[in-house]
Amino acid sequence: MSTVTGTEVPIESSAWDAGGELPPGLGPYQLAWRRLRRNKVALAFGGLFLAVVIVCLLAPVYANHIAHSGPNDQHVDTALNQFGLPIGPTWHAKFFLGADNTGRDVAVRLLYGGRNSLQIGAEATIITIVLATLLGIFAGYFRGPADGLISRAFELIWAYPVYLLGIALGVVLAISGLDLGFVHISGNSLQIPAIIIGIIYIPYVGKAIRGQVLGLREREFIDAARQQGLGHFRIMFGEILPNVASTIVVFIPLIMANAILTEAGLSFLGAGVRPPNPSWGTMIGEGIGLLPAAVHTMLVPGIMLVLCVLGINVFGDGLRDALDPRAKIRIEH
Amino acid sequence: MRKYKTPLGTAVVVAMVLAVAACGSSSSKSSASSASSTSSSTAGGSSSSGKSGGTATVVEGTFPQSLDPSIDFTTQGGEVHWLTHLGPYSFAHATGTAGTQIIPSMAQALPTVADGGKTYTFTLRPGLKYSDGTPVKASDLTFAIERDLKLGWSAASFLTSTIAGASDYAKGKAKTISGITTNDASGKTTIHLVMPYGAFLDVLAVPGVSYLPASTPMKPEPNSPPVGFGPYVIKNVQSNVGFDLAINPNYASQAIPGIPAGKMNVNVKVESNTTTEASDVLNNSADVFDWGDTIPPALIQQVSQQKDRYKAYETNKTFYWFLNTTQKPFTSTLARQAVAYAVDRPALARIGSGALVPGCFLLPPQMAGHPTGSCPYGNVNATPDVAKAKQMVQQSGMAGTPVTVWAENRQPRLQWAENYAATLNAIGFKATLKTIADADYFSTIETLKNHPQTGFADWQQDFPNPTDFYQNLVDANAIAPVGNSNYEEVKDPHIQSELAALYPVQGNQINTAASRWQALDSYVTSKAYVVPYGYESSPEFLSNRIDFGKVVFSPLEGNDFSSLQLK
Repeated sequence: MSTVTGTEVPIESSAWDAGGELPPGLGPYQLAWRRLRRNKVALAFGGLFLAVVIVCLLAPVYANHIAHSGPNDQHVDTALNQFGLPIGPTWHAKFFLGADNTGRDVAVRLLYGGRNSLQIGAEATIITIVLATLLGIFAGYFRGPADGLISRAFELIWAYPVYLLGIALGVVLAISGLDLGFVHISGNSLQIPAIIIGIIYIPYVGKAIRGQVLGLREREFIDAARQQGLGHFRIMFGEILPNVASTIVVFIPLIMANAILTEAGLSFLGAGVRPPNPSWGTMIGEGIGLLPAAVHTMLVPGIMLVLCVLGINVFGDGLRDALDPRAKIRIEH
Repeated sequence: MRKYKTPLGTAVVVAMVLAVAACGSSSSKSSASSASSTSSSTAGGSSSSGKSGGTATVVEGTFPQSLDPSIDFTTQGGEVHWLTHLGPYSFAHATGTAGTQIIPSMAQALPTVADGGKTYTFTLRPGLKYSDGTPVKASDLTFAIERDLKLGWSAASFLTSTIAGASDYAKGKAKTISGITTNDASGKTTIHLVMPYGAFLDVLAVPGVSYLPASTPMKPEPNSPPVGFGPYVIKNVQSNVGFDLAINPNYASQAIPGIPAGKMNVNVKVESNTTTEASDVLNNSADVFDWGDTIPPALIQQVSQQKDRYKAYETNKTFYWFLNTTQKPFTSTLARQAVAYAVDRPALARIGSGALVPGCFLLPPQMAGHPTGSCPYGNVNATPDVAKAKQMVQQSGMAGTPVTVWAENRQPRLQWAENYAATLNAIGFKATLKTIADADYFSTIETLKNHPQTGFADWQQDFPNPTDFYQNLVDANAIAPVGNSNYEEVKDPHIQSELAALYPVQGNQINTAASRWQALDSYVTSKAYVVPYGYESSPEFLSNRIDFGKVVFSPLEGNDFSSLQLK
């Protein structure tokens, strides 16, 4: 396997000038890790994101042992006043962050909603990265009709505004679900928004990878691989893939952050996570209806969403700087 | 869909109309028969003292099903078509009980009823012209009714089950409706019914039964609604966004007594978030709140303090869960009754900003035929007996059956559905929620092939007769491939035989049949084909710049836009 990266190996000028020994050779990922460790801000925000993930994963513990209320348990009698207005945050374990418009514990739903948002974000990211990588490499490597077909498909998806496409797919699939023949996904499944978001972002990654592959396929090491009689499959996944890996790694947090935001947006608009499943987007949507009297119902999931996305984004920026300081990878809608 | 009720029978209504007519109408400019006119006291909007001019902004929770009157049958649509597409009769433009009176609209007078209630004869007012100047002909009503049937008007069963030949026409077996004969020269119209039908005059007053020029395309025209006759004209339609109601400049000179000309132009815009909708009116950035919506919990206290621009009216609106009797688990009477026992009506009332009065009968309390006894499923104001319901589900053998609850996204309807789904899960079903965009909800569940298992439904009276509820909601004849409002797909022989006996009862004799309606409503409740959970009042909520005292709030059509005027 040959690896060609666009990064430059840093030379410690002081050691060089002093005529001392050069540091032992480091691989690109070791160098990246070294750079990342120096970026304390990125690490701090990475830690913030990790903390959010851990807290959300502990949702059942909080629900069962602290709040003693499930995410969909309604306490209309105790949590709503006669006009249907929910109670605000309390100092009790139950309703610590108040209740929502059907008397459900906001803190419990916040954590379960976070699980759902993170799950959808992660699944969408996997779908995007896997399919975009396959299609991008395939299009860039073979060029010609295959490239034409795949690139036009990318442009077709790209041409639609993300949210309009997401809403259109979300509304249609919410009614009928997704029937792929061998598997049927019901309309209220979390997989539906994950698939929708995953597909929407494919062009944003796929086009970048395709462009990189178009350059790589002309490099000498690919010619050498061909001369050695390697097949297309081995060249694509044995030679080219490792050389686009850093790009892919950089894209992961960016796509994850955007997927979580898109999920929140679609859910807010009623085309993402289906009620009564919680997600930060649905919670914000429900909370909007209670403004200005019950601000907590919108503010709490909003803050959580900001912290989560901020954590991923800043960490992702640090990761990008570490892997490829010259890269200018951005997701632009 | 529409839903409501009124306490007086049509006979009383007719009597009141005649009494009012006897007083004469000083404000009328029409040359039509004074026997048909309504006093200005019944129509606040007809007062000439208001300030004309300006544009009022109306915020609606959803766009009408269609702005084509031959399709629409929603509260939002009726509120518009009531003013843009008049028919032979209309309901008085008046607040309160007076607003349930039937007045002659484009007909000269109330009809002559003969042949034991099977023949209705009336005459079109002479010289009327549509908003585009086309003369109105008597035969235009035949055309409009045929168009209703061809385009699948959501209340078509009112026509197909009553007018001779209408059913054959709807099925394509006839080229015209044999039961309607008209004479364009004299304006005389005669309608023959297949059987006496006590609410037929009400049907002739419902928006949708209106005159349309025969040149109107026989296809849906939602974005460019057909020309009509009325105080307003629909303009600038942006589907699911909004539209304008412009004052019809040709109407004032030929105004119908009791149906005043508009004073302000109206801009209707859709705002699906009820909080935004209410806050827009509260902050005076909009003028009229959708009477079909609920003031949200976050603002109800603030709004209800605005005594000079907010009032809640009892408008006979029933909210209920439909249970599809063709779909498991609701094929089982025991399973359906378990649901009726388990529904937490006090909780639903609280979620609904306290505007919902818990109840368990289909007919609302002020409608003739509302049962006088207590609810057979326990005290509607108390916590439900979930344990008993759970036991009944077990006995029915339907425990664990998957149930899909269909619901709208609007507040508080979504929250009601969430509560309902939680209830179903608590008694042993596996319920999941299926939410549909507000604008598409009713057309989706009204499509028979979807066979929705259970879900949200409501009905507001279209006219003060229990026939309105039963003919649409549980009559087997209402089952249709599209526009099916019998969501339960009920085909109960007892209901059918009772309805056959009750439909002919004239509106003015409705109280004589009240006990039989009560027995039928009790029967339907006991069978739990539908599970009503409450009756909601309707809000009249206006901005500060509108003269609240002058605005008419019809118990049937809501805010009368023709009465809107600046202070």
